[in-house]
Amino acid sequence: MLDPLVRDALLFGNLLSMMSLGLTLTYITSKVPNFAHGMLVSLGAYVPLMFAEVFGLDPYLSIPVAFLLGGFGSLLVYVLAMRPISRGGGSIVHLMMATLAAEAVFNGVINAFADFLQENFRVFSRAFTLRDLDFTFLDLPGVFIVSYVLCAVLFVALFILLTKTRFGVAMRATVENPSLAGVLGVDTNLVYAVSWFISGGLAGVSGCLIPFWVQTSPSTGSNYLLSIFCASVVGGLGSLAGAIAGGLALGISEIAVTNYLAGVVGYWIIPYRPVIPLLVMAVTLLLVPEGITGLLSGQVRRKA
Amino acid sequence: MPDLLIFLFDLIAMFSIYLILNLSLCLEFGYGGIPDFGKVLFVAGGAYLVGGFAGRFASWMVGITGYDYIRSNSLVIFMENARLSGDLWLCLAVFIPSILLAILVGAILGYLASFPAIRLREDYLGMTLLSMGEVARVIGNNYPDLVGGSLGVQVPDPLAWAGEWRFPIASVVILLFSIAVWLYVDRVGHSPLGRTLRAIRDNETTAESLGKNVSDYRMKTLVVSSAIAALCGALYAFYTCGVVATTYNRLWWTFWPWLMVMLGGVSSSMGVLAGTLISTSVIKLVNLFKESLQPFLPFDVVWVESMIIGATMIIVLIRRPEGIFPEEPQVTSGMIGAKPPGDASGDTKS
Repeated sequence: MLDPLVRDALLFGNLLSMMSLGLTLTYITSKVPNFAHGMLVSLGAYVPLMFAEVFGLDPYLSIPVAFLLGGFGSLLVYVLAMRPISRGGGSIVHLMMATLAAEAVFNGVINAFADFLQENFRVFSRAFTLRDLDFTFLDLPGVFIVSYVLCAVLFVALFILLTKTRFGVAMRATVENPSLAGVLGVDTNLVYAVSWFISGGLAGVSGCLIPFWVQTSPSTGSNYLLSIFCASVVGGLGSLAGAIAGGLALGISEIAVTNYLAGVVGYWIIPYRPVIPLLVMAVTLLLVPEGITGLLSGQVRRKA
Repeated sequence: MPDLLIFLFDLIAMFSIYLILNLSLCLEFGYGGIPDFGKVLFVAGGAYLVGGFAGRFASWMVGITGYDYIRSNSLVIFMENARLSGDLWLCLAVFIPSILLAILVGAILGYLASFPAIRLREDYLGMTLLSMGEVARVIGNNYPDLVGGSLGVQVPDPLAWAGEWRFPIASVVILLFSIAVWLYVDRVGHSPLGRTLRAIRDNETTAESLGKNVSDYRMKTLVVSSAIAALCGALYAFYTCGVVATTYNRLWWTFWPWLMVMLGGVSSSMGVLAGTLISTSVIKLVNLFKESLQPFLPFDVVWVESMIIGATMIIVLIRRPEGIFPEEPQVTSGMIGAKPPGDASGDTKS
């Protein structure tokens, strides 16, 4: 039997590692921090609600759909905004601006959809939870188990894609040197599109699990944006393994630290939780700007 | 007052408030090249100061004691306004220190933001400043002693004496402030300082090799522009007679200013003016008519607005990333041997 606090911390660590893996994936390919990433998480969170309340299906069946929906949302951002802007010679600030614009569009779409569900299907679409539809296994909530299974499956699949397939090699080559990869016949546009798709898919899947754990609203995903950025920065923003490690570390410590402080100084501290990722990010950038991966590779270099 | 006049004065107020904010963005990003994705932080700083300070200061000035400022906020403000409505000098005595302190708070926040801004690349800086902006909202929303938490606070009205003419006068006052800021930013743009900032923006290494202290210039740019942004927040708080932390969100105070300056042209004071005028007019006009669209939609019409604004931004970025008024080669008037922009032989941009 696990302490609920430990369980929450581990679960949030899993979710955050999926989210920050997605953010880092688009960052290393397109060099843009995707400000719309949080909204893709929210997008995923509405899929299980639809499945449960509108179609009357088991909400866990919606996981593949959430992956596809998040992926297509992200792909649209790439195809309709990122690619034309960078072709027109837009700078990185323009691209960041465009992701912020995409966030505004998603915000409108998701909120409109939430209103639509509320009006037409009498579904509580804001601050909703699916916790009572969850199963339990060995006294553990299902979402806890599912998050581990999903993390394992997705991370292994991504690892195999990147290391064992020709396309994965092409992807890594594009990350290293896009123009050289292009000269050697790699379709870099396809690589970018696929990485945006996978990134959005990861966001969608992690969003899909949130309603089983906490109350979810259209703004939930963008409220996690701080934690996602921080996890990626802690991971070094350059490595996928670092993103997973950063997500786990920050997710666990965010919940642990908040709860510890709540016990010490009082419960009023809990709403200030978003301050933790900001502080962690500031400290990381000041002391170890290369993040966990930089730290580890630095040690390797020192030993050699 | 006729409806048209009310609409016009409303528009003037919104235009002026955003003009001030957008000019600060022009100063730091257009000239200085610092992409500030946390504008909301500085606006909120100015507004929070007015929310937290002006009312308490006014109570002290008129001698209202024995009330908890936050819990009996509307009562305290009501009594203050009753006193303020008869005394112009008292109004100024509340207004001017609040504005000055708000500017100071903005400058301090800008100084804090300059630590990451000197050290980080655009992408890391964007993430850091955006996060700082979010934290400003979290603190405002959860620390009730500052601006009343999620309920917000009212602010004493320095124009309480104006009665029916309160909003028109407020619009004109804010317009005067915005004209002053416009003149300042325009002067900076055409001055040696402006050229230094542009040089740093276009090529940091070259500027450094010419003896310019890059990090010092960046720090000072952020301090000044953040102080201007805080002035905008303070004026907005006085104009709306209240501060609610959730109003200071990323969409209104970071995204809209960016959209407006990108539309007009981020590196020219004329461009910022044009972009602000067009955007605020369109937003106000759309606000007039959007309610009539509501019966045809199965959801709240405000979400359409969010979608359209986001899409507009993307179209602007694709079609005209340099804005309506692209940056022209700068020629300082009166400079010996200055040539008109058309036949400037040396290239100003690499």
